[in-house]
Amino acid sequence: MTAQSDWVKWDAKEISYEIHSPTHHDYTIDKSSFGLRILSYARNAYYYFISDVDGDNCPFFPSCSAFFIQSVKESNIFRASLMFTDRFIRDMNLFKNNNRYSLHATKKYIDPINNYLLEEKRIILTTGEFIE
Amino acid sequence: MSLLNNYFSNHFLNSINFYQTKVLAIILFLLPFSTILFSQTMNIDENYFSPKNRLAFGNFLFIQEDYLRAIEEYKNYLMYIDNDTVRFKYAESFYRIGKYNEAADNFKSIFYGSLLSDEAKLAFYKASFFNGSYNSFRDICKMEGYQSEKYAKDINRLFLISHLMDESILPDTNHFLKAFPDSTKNKVRELYMMKKFPSKKNPTTAMLLSMFIPGAGKIYTGEISDGITALLTTGVLAYLAANNFKHEHNFRGWLFAGLAVFSYAGTVYGSYASAQIYNAGVRLNFDNEVKLYFEKRNYLLPKINFLKTND
Repeated sequence: MTAQSDWVKWDAKEISYEIHSPTHHDYTIDKSSFGLRILSYARNAYYYFISDVDGDNCPFFPSCSAFFIQSVKESNIFRASLMFTDRFIRDMNLFKNNNRYSLHATKKYIDPINNYLLEEKRIILTTGEFIE
Repeated sequence: MSLLNNYFSNHFLNSINFYQTKVLAIILFLLPFSTILFSQTMNIDENYFSPKNRLAFGNFLFIQEDYLRAIEEYKNYLMYIDNDTVRFKYAESFYRIGKYNEAADNFKSIFYGSLLSDEAKLAFYKASFFNGSYNSFRDICKMEGYQSEKYAKDINRLFLISHLMDESILPDTNHFLKAFPDSTKNKVRELYMMKKFPSKKNPTTAMLLSMFIPGAGKIYTGEISDGITALLTTGVLAYLAANNFKHEHNFRGWLFAGLAVFSYAGTVYGSYASAQIYNAGVRLNFDNEVKLYFEKRNYLLPKINFLKTND
């Protein structure tokens, strides 16, 4: 236990008893650009017709589809496609290196897009189990 | 005669009982008033907020590691009485709750004309070291006027350790190792060499390897199963494309060819990223090792004894 380091008043806190699901599908349409709007529709169609029916099977957090959308937002469609392909191949690997990935609270492997933007300063390395 | 004796003794006993009961009644009646009077007298004599009591309570809080409240008590004490030891403890309290800027500023106030001048200078460098910017710390170390003769070696060691903590250029090996005691020399040499020649993987090499053999770059960075998966995926897709073209199923041929190209390009891209992640891991492990090693040994700094006493 560490020493108290600041005068912080205790305050009443609103508690939500809603069960939080980090893998809950977000169907929001991104209207920031025409390309992202089309992509959002495609993603929603995938969620509705495939993912929701198939179940929560992606071993990574964020899931491959969410990874692709985030990649497009952070870079461009070409680089995002490369990042997604690489992620998809790693997803197919049956013998994943447990030492490489930290575990999310949902027992999924944490694999943020920051690590694949080819910017060393943005790489996020976590150790041990990560609780959201 | 015996009757007379009995009469006198009984009378005497009766008179004592009456007298005792009376006294007891008076005492019981006065007892609540006397307690109030007594306690009021105590409050008048004992001022809990006197500088002496502030200091005693501040020291108690300091020993209890409640530095935030100890600061308040020391601050109030120093408003009435100037005392170097208390100033030192006041600054040390800031240091221990991670307020390094405030700690450094307060240590500076004991630099001159104090018996604790050398200890204050050492503590000032320590606070500057943990302030976050090792570059600023090294600049402070080069400044004139803050030097302490008594702790020059310790401060120099801290200056050298700071080179292991960031991306600055390492000093000469002999000059670096000379500053450390023999008991730590081997480990420090090992850390120095790890810093100077880190076992990093070249991202360009990883990328080029994957260009020649898909997935070879990933194997180079230690991701063997990822590399083999990439090789198999690209190989199978390329084979399917070639086979479909051969049997004149052009649509399927182009489909698999496209997928094979994506798989190849993704693997090349992923190999570069994999090398970068590997290097970030090497850096993180090294930083943790250096931090753990020196933290365990209090950064090879001497302990200041009077901080644990109730002076």
